[in-house]
Amino acid sequence: MSNEFDLSHPPFDLLSTEEQEKLVSRLDIGYFGKDEIVIDAGQVSESVFVVLKGAVVELDLTKESEPDGGVIREYAHDDLFGAISIINGSSRYTFKTVEGTIAWLLPKEIFLGLMHSNEPFAAYFQNTLAEKARLLERRRSEKLGNGDMSSFMMAKVADSVLREAVILQSGTTILEATRTMREQHSDCLLVHKNSQYGMVTRTDLLEGVVLQDMGLESDICDLASYDLLTVQADDFLFNALVLMTRHKIQRVVVFDHNKLAGLVELTDVLSFFSSQSHVIGLQIERAGNLEELARAAKGTTELINGLVAQGVKIRFAMDLLAALNGRIIAKAYEQLVPEEIRKKTCLLVMGSEGRGEQVLKTDQDNALIIADDLDWQECSQVMDKFTNTLLDFGYPLCPGNIMVSNPEWVMKESEWRKTLSQWSSSVEGTGLMNLAIFVDAHAVAGDARLFSRLRDTLFHSLEGNEVFYSYFAMPLRRFSTPLTFFGGLKNSDGMDIKKGGIFPIVHGIRTMALQFKIKETNTFQRIDALVEKRVMKRKFADDLAEALVVLSSLRLQQQLKVEIGQAPPGESNMVSAVSLNKLDRDLLREALHMVKEFKSRMSHRYHLEG
Amino acid sequence: MVLKTIRSATDKWAHKDGDYAFMFEPYTGDEIIALDCEMTDLDPQKAELVSIAAVKIKGTQVLTSEKLDIKLQKPESLTGDSIKVHRIRGVDLRGGEVLPDALEQLLHFIGNRPIMGYYIDYDITVLNRFIRPRFGFSLPNKTIELSQSYEAKVKRANPELQPDLHFEKIAEKLGVPMVGQRHSALGDAITTALMYVRLLKGPVPV
Repeated sequence: MSNEFDLSHPPFDLLSTEEQEKLVSRLDIGYFGKDEIVIDAGQVSESVFVVLKGAVVELDLTKESEPDGGVIREYAHDDLFGAISIINGSSRYTFKTVEGTIAWLLPKEIFLGLMHSNEPFAAYFQNTLAEKARLLERRRSEKLGNGDMSSFMMAKVADSVLREAVILQSGTTILEATRTMREQHSDCLLVHKNSQYGMVTRTDLLEGVVLQDMGLESDICDLASYDLLTVQADDFLFNALVLMTRHKIQRVVVFDHNKLAGLVELTDVLSFFSSQSHVIGLQIERAGNLEELARAAKGTTELINGLVAQGVKIRFAMDLLAALNGRIIAKAYEQLVPEEIRKKTCLLVMGSEGRGEQVLKTDQDNALIIADDLDWQECSQVMDKFTNTLLDFGYPLCPGNIMVSNPEWVMKESEWRKTLSQWSSSVEGTGLMNLAIFVDAHAVAGDARLFSRLRDTLFHSLEGNEVFYSYFAMPLRRFSTPLTFFGGLKNSDGMDIKKGGIFPIVHGIRTMALQFKIKETNTFQRIDALVEKRVMKRKFADDLAEALVVLSSLRLQQQLKVEIGQAPPGESNMVSAVSLNKLDRDLLREALHMVKEFKSRMSHRYHLEG
Repeated sequence: MVLKTIRSATDKWAHKDGDYAFMFEPYTGDEIIALDCEMTDLDPQKAELVSIAAVKIKGTQVLTSEKLDIKLQKPESLTGDSIKVHRIRGVDLRGGEVLPDALEQLLHFIGNRPIMGYYIDYDITVLNRFIRPRFGFSLPNKTIELSQSYEAKVKRANPELQPDLHFEKIAEKLGVPMVGQRHSALGDAITTALMYVRLLKGPVPV
């Protein structure tokens, strides 16, 4: 059955079977020629349109002279439009075909009837991007039915790896307890004593008998430990892991309110959470030399790929990788630089590494601050070695040579101060670009105070300097979202999602962070901080953050394709709507719309027009 | 054509006070019926009806919400050969309509609107073979032949061209997707309707 009306996508899959049947029976089909206006601005639409074939653009005709021709959104196969015009009473923008287009027409009164009778369906049209993304994400994971990150992060203790506890009464002997453990294949048991529970592990039994010379007939109560850590059954499993990590313990006891529910063991939790992350973390901490560290470093790419393939949320993957990379780089620095030097230097990571937003290993972007009173002869030699070490670990060299092996990025504190002031007073590209890189810097090793002093000076020197922010934000104007982007259109090779989508958000937020003296370097954290400072509204901030997640995920999918040879090496940032599924395309459209909205706000704030 | 005109005039006179007088009124509206029937044989004198589908066209909209989709009870002549053509098996038709009821529904649905289809004369001939004995008239409606409209459009662009008039070829040239299952009466009626409204929208690619 080709070209039937597809009910399997949101929002139509939110309808009941009855509602779906009613909808299908009331559909008409419309044919529109090339460049035909489907809904005029200000007009009331009589139908909701779902594209069967062809392409339609939503245009702001008052902005037709702008480089993007005033395009607000684009619609292709299976995409829906016109609903908002019906909800709002009239259309804000003009809908025009780009080529001959066939569309399903859902009559207005049927659509409004469904909005009225079906709450989730109505919510779909009223939701913000963040809410919609969550909804789509959930539908998607339901459909795929596998371990998607939201389910992974959302797993509750009770529904995941809860083990039934073996409970013995006080007075049970060590011999009996050992036998029970063996029968129950358990490593640990609980002992009930005066309405209190104690825990006895195999190790406890062994040590009791061997080291404390207890007889096999002794009461296990005397071996048990009673200061147990507990979690509630409806708590997130992730919290149980955090608890175990923090207290360096192997098990926590689970209660359902005040009733014992069972046990959770670290090994089970780790296998549930893809134990690799923990293993690599341990490898890094235990690495005694560079070879061991290199082994750990090489595991990170695979770990992240694995997590992402399992559908782990990209923000979590980024955070994890940033933490691991930060530790690796700091460890490498410790291995190569003697302690007395470390105390008087500060190693910075910058760029996406500094923001904690890289997913695959990105280029080395780093710099060094040296205390003014340190005279370090071997500096350049050691820094060369450091750069090469990271290269061995799998971190490619920075093509712009922004690395500690370049003396320009290794300076004494006072020299840094001078350079930063030069950069910020320059109106030409390189200085401002360097400054943008530095603004994302994050101290990973050595004395972080060296860095925070520089950063604070920078913040204060720029205070109230409106002209500077305007220049700094200027690159936002450089890229626009290409017009012929969606499938079915001629020459739709795709768009550079980094330039057209990710960069505007990152740089805009960076500019605002600089202006409002926000110390966080991660874009998501910066957005949160801007909300706290009441510079940005929560709703807008959530949507913007979600847009960045959507764009980053799509970019990552493409990067992974390049890695396994499914896409040419030069196209790691190219995303073509043709190859996307309906859900991704919906999200991408909304995300790009957010980018546009954000860019126009930034243009206004920093006077970038003209 | 002459024969049809004379026959229609006679029919009209005979039915001027009958239940089906509306069929003979001149049509003044802006709707057209896209019609397609599935049959058991390619010979119109032998063919039995398997299913009848019709959909209204209004302007450049195909009113799929106002459609007729009738499956008929298994005719005696449904043989292995026609099953191959239409992929309709006897079992698919069980529980279908009986022919007189189906034709009555069809006449009321069509009314005096023009009828458009792909090789529409063939469908009309077969329908008339069953309509005439029961109702005493043949379909008087104006007919529009899709393949002819298409050919005329192509020749207007380039008189030298002899276009390929296969159903799928026309659809492909016009950029119209096949809707529903190919060789289902309803799917073909909708696809034909879409091709027709596409032809209304300006020149065709040659």
